[in-house]
Amino acid sequence: MSDEIENKSGYQTQSSETMNEYSGAAVGDVDYVRPAEIPEQDLYHGHTFLTKWVFCQDAKVIGVQYFLTAVFTGIVGLILSWLMRLQLGFPELAGFMTAEHYYQFVTMHGMIMVVYFLTALFLGGFGNYLIPLMVGARDMVFPYVNMLSFWMFFVAVAVLMASFFVPGGPTGSGWTLYPPQAILDGTPGSGAGILLMLISLSLFVIGFTMGGLNYLITILQARTRGMTLMRMPLTVWGIFTATVLAMLAFPALLVSSIMMTLDKVLGTSFFMPTILKAGEVLEYGGGSPILFQHLFWFFGHPEVYIVALPAFGIVSDLISVHARKNIFGYRMMVWAIVGIGALSFFVWAHHMYVSGMNPWFGFFFASTTLIIAVPTAMKVYNWILTLWRGNIRINTVMLWCLGFIVTFVNGGITGIFLGNVSVDVPLSDTYFVVAHFHMVMGIAPLMVIMGAVYHWFPLVAGRMLHEGLGKWHFWITFLGAYSIYFPMHYLGFIGVPRRYFEMYDSPYMTSGVGLNEFISLAAFIVGAAQFILIYNIIKTLKTGKPAGKNPWKANSLEWHTSTVPPEHGNFGERLPVVHRWAYDYSVPGAKEDFMPQTTPPSEVSNTEVEKT
Amino acid sequence: MNSILKKIFGTLTEKPWEANQAAIDSKHTGQTFNISNQMSVVIIIFGISSVLFSLIFTGYLYSLPPGQDTTFILKTNMLWINTLVLILVTYFFDKIRRDFNNNLTSNIKKNLIIVGALSYLFLILQLILWYQLMIDGNYVSTNTYFSSFYFFTALHGIHLLGGLFFWGKVTSKIFKLEERDYKKEERSITALSVYWLFLFIVWFVFFTIMFVYNDAVLDWCRSLIS
Repeated sequence: MSDEIENKSGYQTQSSETMNEYSGAAVGDVDYVRPAEIPEQDLYHGHTFLTKWVFCQDAKVIGVQYFLTAVFTGIVGLILSWLMRLQLGFPELAGFMTAEHYYQFVTMHGMIMVVYFLTALFLGGFGNYLIPLMVGARDMVFPYVNMLSFWMFFVAVAVLMASFFVPGGPTGSGWTLYPPQAILDGTPGSGAGILLMLISLSLFVIGFTMGGLNYLITILQARTRGMTLMRMPLTVWGIFTATVLAMLAFPALLVSSIMMTLDKVLGTSFFMPTILKAGEVLEYGGGSPILFQHLFWFFGHPEVYIVALPAFGIVSDLISVHARKNIFGYRMMVWAIVGIGALSFFVWAHHMYVSGMNPWFGFFFASTTLIIAVPTAMKVYNWILTLWRGNIRINTVMLWCLGFIVTFVNGGITGIFLGNVSVDVPLSDTYFVVAHFHMVMGIAPLMVIMGAVYHWFPLVAGRMLHEGLGKWHFWITFLGAYSIYFPMHYLGFIGVPRRYFEMYDSPYMTSGVGLNEFISLAAFIVGAAQFILIYNIIKTLKTGKPAGKNPWKANSLEWHTSTVPPEHGNFGERLPVVHRWAYDYSVPGAKEDFMPQTTPPSEVSNTEVEKT
Repeated sequence: MNSILKKIFGTLTEKPWEANQAAIDSKHTGQTFNISNQMSVVIIIFGISSVLFSLIFTGYLYSLPPGQDTTFILKTNMLWINTLVLILVTYFFDKIRRDFNNNLTSNIKKNLIIVGALSYLFLILQLILWYQLMIDGNYVSTNTYFSSFYFFTALHGIHLLGGLFFWGKVTSKIFKLEERDYKKEERSITALSVYWLFLFIVWFVFFTIMFVYNDAVLDWCRSLIS
């Protein structure tokens, strides 16, 4: 289908005709744009170090702040995973670690990676940096609130990290924080640890809501002239839909966090049934732990897509730019993003098949879970068809994109296994589940993040990252990740349970002997490989090759700013005017193999438009 | 609503790569909806809060065990007075909005003060109601019914306080302006009036659920059937 070329007589004739029909502009003025109707945004430019770099209102600086804070939490999460793998693979070397420590590390690793690393990085980092640039705005619509959003996130991270240093340590109740055990004695960190976690989550949600308001209103109301919704790059569509999801799903996390805080502090029983402890009835009673599970997963499942949708959008753009092809099925890609977003609210209870739910309930959620695979698969086909007959550049960015597609398909297929009740029940709480979700929402989005970093670093810093180091980084991460998670699937199949502190010599584990050591070694190597990127960034900032303007020859607006890196206000004196979508690559008849969104029709009058 | 759906689904069927569509698209102003940024904020908060309160209500209905003392809501008490106060606030805010539409600016200042005063009165009455409940021995941890009651009213109160913060900002601006310049603040005030209407709707839904879904009313319904 992508081969079909629709021969047009060019933009000139077409648009002139339409012009007569739709506006009062002069006939023949193909480059006509409507005069600006939205008044210029009044920006506050920082003058001191504090207002320029700390309490800055420039979305790009805020994006970098989000990025760095999220990466810091990610490194903490990575170190925790190393400690866990040390215990599982080489317990004789981890004598300092007790079972309590192990559960605390598991819990903090999970929460940090899902919420404070991935979500903050995609929406706070990429969202802030890219939204205004890609839609042609000077900044977010409410820059001050945007700044508050970051600092609220920063405080949330500080509160979370503080829980490592309180008596009893951080919570060890598992990242799902299920009550009643999360707040009862006997669970590690059931005192100050769980309280700080709940407070931190509440602050995170409040902070995110401030940022989310900005993302949505900037995308909907503050685009530049000519930038219709369907001309937006898929990155913006992904971030937009994920933000809508977050705005609707995070209230569930906020409500459940506050309610559990009240259960802990004021003795309410929202989630606490009547409990007999050491022969004594506790004061709790009348609440429902299952209610918490529903609330948590009403947040928790859309959370998967809050991470995945921006990744889908970003990878679509990266593939298109580096394959020099327009994105295959743009409209279908948008529909799939929106469709996945909507469906993600109807699948939450597939995380609760073993909670004793009514079988019909399970049947319903299994069906919706399988349905969501349809738009997801459409996206995979479209990425592959974008690559098909493309002028593919096998650079570091493309490697990460290809790695993402393979990994996402792997993780997605095991998700179809687990979506079925009858398959999920025996595999529940085994390493199969751990392998599945790490592949689909750990490694796959991470690959997109890495691709995006290599792609947009020249814009942020004005210098090109070293390709050779980038390729080493990719191959070690890619092969290492598979060395970790493929064996883990097998461990799950043979019934090895997750969340066990010690992998004792069990008769059913004989065929898995040695695998834990192997997985742990691979995990150490993959983790260490991430420091290649940090080294690459530091080296590039000092001595890297200058990137110049638009080094990838991309079409979208962020590459067409007045300066590189872009200054506060993004586009110099005049905002850009958009004349086309962001995917006019390798257009027959054009002088170059790309047409920036700002190229007026008169400059490319003899080109042919490819069908998609 | 219909036009919004048309806009959304119409937009999603556009083919931006085609020349005809490109010519139309190039004339786009960049704004999706013809509303102010302030109104956009209110609408989004409306959406978020609707989910938040819906989850609380659903949780309440899900977990309320039988046999709890739910007759409190049926008694004549301050809850009814508070509801009346909230209706009055909503009425006066709507009146301000209508006055703006009709270019009647003479009462704007006065009505803004009434709105603020009534809103603070509502919060004070809520605190008195809490105090009454506690005197009667109904604390936040007494049972899930009262836990939900306190939780909901606290969240609703926080929402109202948030609204009052912005009411304070707008009112202080209005007091600094000449009457002929009040129009400058029309967008903010219109957005706030919608926010207050939302606060009332949430309260109304809460009141209905608490009122209807309790043992006494359910027993009465059962008696009608039998």
